[in-house]
Amino acid sequence: MNDLATHRVLALHLGVLALLFLAQFALPEYHHTNVARIMVLAAYALGYNLLLGYTGLMSLGHAMFFAAGMYGAGLPVYYLGFGAAGALGAGIATGMLLAAAFGLMALRTSGVSFLIVSLMFAQAFYLASLYFNEITLGDQGFILSGKLAPLQLGGTPLGFHEPAVKYNAALLLFAACFLLSLGLRLSPIGRVLIAIRENEERTRLFGYDSFRYKLLALVLSGGLAAAAGASYALLFSYVGSTFASILFSIYPLLWTLLGGVGTILGPLVGTGLMFYLVDIASGITSAYLLVVGVVLVALILWFPQGIMGTVRAKWLPWLP
Amino acid sequence: MATVAAVAPLLETEALCKRFGGLAAVNDVDLRVAPGEIRAVIGPNGAGKTTLVGMICGRLVPSSGRVLYRGRDITAMRPWERLMQGIVYTFQVTSLFKSLSCYENVALPAQRRLMRGFAARLALREKAVAERVCAALASVGLAGIAEQRADSLAYGHQRLLELAMALAAEPQLLILDEPTQGLAQAEIEQLCDLVRAIARSATVLLIEHNMPVVLALAGHVTVMDSGRIIAEGTPGEIERDAGVQKAYLGR
Repeated sequence: MNDLATHRVLALHLGVLALLFLAQFALPEYHHTNVARIMVLAAYALGYNLLLGYTGLMSLGHAMFFAAGMYGAGLPVYYLGFGAAGALGAGIATGMLLAAAFGLMALRTSGVSFLIVSLMFAQAFYLASLYFNEITLGDQGFILSGKLAPLQLGGTPLGFHEPAVKYNAALLLFAACFLLSLGLRLSPIGRVLIAIRENEERTRLFGYDSFRYKLLALVLSGGLAAAAGASYALLFSYVGSTFASILFSIYPLLWTLLGGVGTILGPLVGTGLMFYLVDIASGITSAYLLVVGVVLVALILWFPQGIMGTVRAKWLPWLP
Repeated sequence: MATVAAVAPLLETEALCKRFGGLAAVNDVDLRVAPGEIRAVIGPNGAGKTTLVGMICGRLVPSSGRVLYRGRDITAMRPWERLMQGIVYTFQVTSLFKSLSCYENVALPAQRRLMRGFAARLALREKAVAERVCAALASVGLAGIAEQRADSLAYGHQRLLELAMALAAEPQLLILDEPTQGLAQAEIEQLCDLVRAIARSATVLLIEHNMPVVLALAGHVTVMDSGRIIAEGTPGEIERDAGVQKAYLGR
């Protein structure tokens, strides 16, 4: 990639972040909160996309990383009185450790076997979060409000219940995950990951130990998912085992597919679209999941590469 | 054996065997390749040629025997470590990264040597990779199509792209598995010129069916049949060998 192309890519992606920042001054209150939530969930989808889109590994167990981040951050706040920064760090570390342990076992498999193994591990994690309900409080969960001390910024307390704090914290998380994904994609390591997705044996014969690269991708992917889970717990003040259920493993897959697998912008577009699809459909009918399903089928039929994948194929071939 | 290398061999196999179930695909093969030579390995389909080079480049694990490279035992070395020793393999069937551009295809092997060690990895600049990619593409005559998708190329150009990828990996022992398969006569001549040029800086191990190509390129020829080496010598000697004619040339 030459310098001009790199500048174009940077301008577009930094522009999107700038728009998200400016949007908070224009959005009505209801959408303000929605977009904050979308950005946290999109960070989760970015992590998922790192593994599926750029390494070619499809997981159905990412909820365990999201939930590991959530419990890793939420439990220390609830029981040990951790502050926000310590809790976020603990959440991310929990997710990455879990991803590393899972990867050392599960990366012996690939393709459908990997998908099934990830599903089984995630189910075990989910059941464990119910089994230890004396600590986790199971599917009833627990709330963090009152337990979490507000952030101090130059002597001004910033509580996460304040919309502006919530929005900008979510934006900060999203921007970090977004730029990390972009940086990785444009780096020599990103090139190796894509090569593994395309043709693993060839990549190994060109001197790359594919297992190590897949493990790295999995740990980073789990780390982003956990960062999103930890932030979700801190910003929306609730931790519960619902977030470890299979539905939360399927969501990032759908968001990524809808937005465009293997594009940096895809996860954000897919998450936002799906969020509002559910939001609007559930305002019209109680069978809103049916509406969502129909729209998904239509998108897969006419845009099998997802929205940003189609944009790339038709108009912007330089999109990373 | 007809050839006794005066210098220490670059590559040596000792009693190398590969069994698949009851079938010995490669049976007790002692091969010696001198540095700088172009060595052809010929033989009928199923003779064990691809299996043999598979064990040399690390795709396959031998059932028994040893592989020595520069006098070192590399039998247990993993394929990605062998590349760093200079052993580069091109597949019999084109094995490109189909949906990526020619540039990206060549950039993957080109950046490998620049990524040695953690500090080098961090300091790696795309400019250094780009220089290597352009040089490799230019040397096979594909300089103008760097941005095209690999699967949009004509078959002959895909084979050349494979060669550019191998060159970008800076081979010291280049293993070419039937490089002329499916090429037109003009393309074959271009490829022969290229292999000669490569052989000025690297040792070439060539698996080939096309006898005129073997006669034109190879300094020595090894003939395999049913997993064993049945003859070895100069192209002229091999042509005259009665056993080879019976097993392979069909005369």
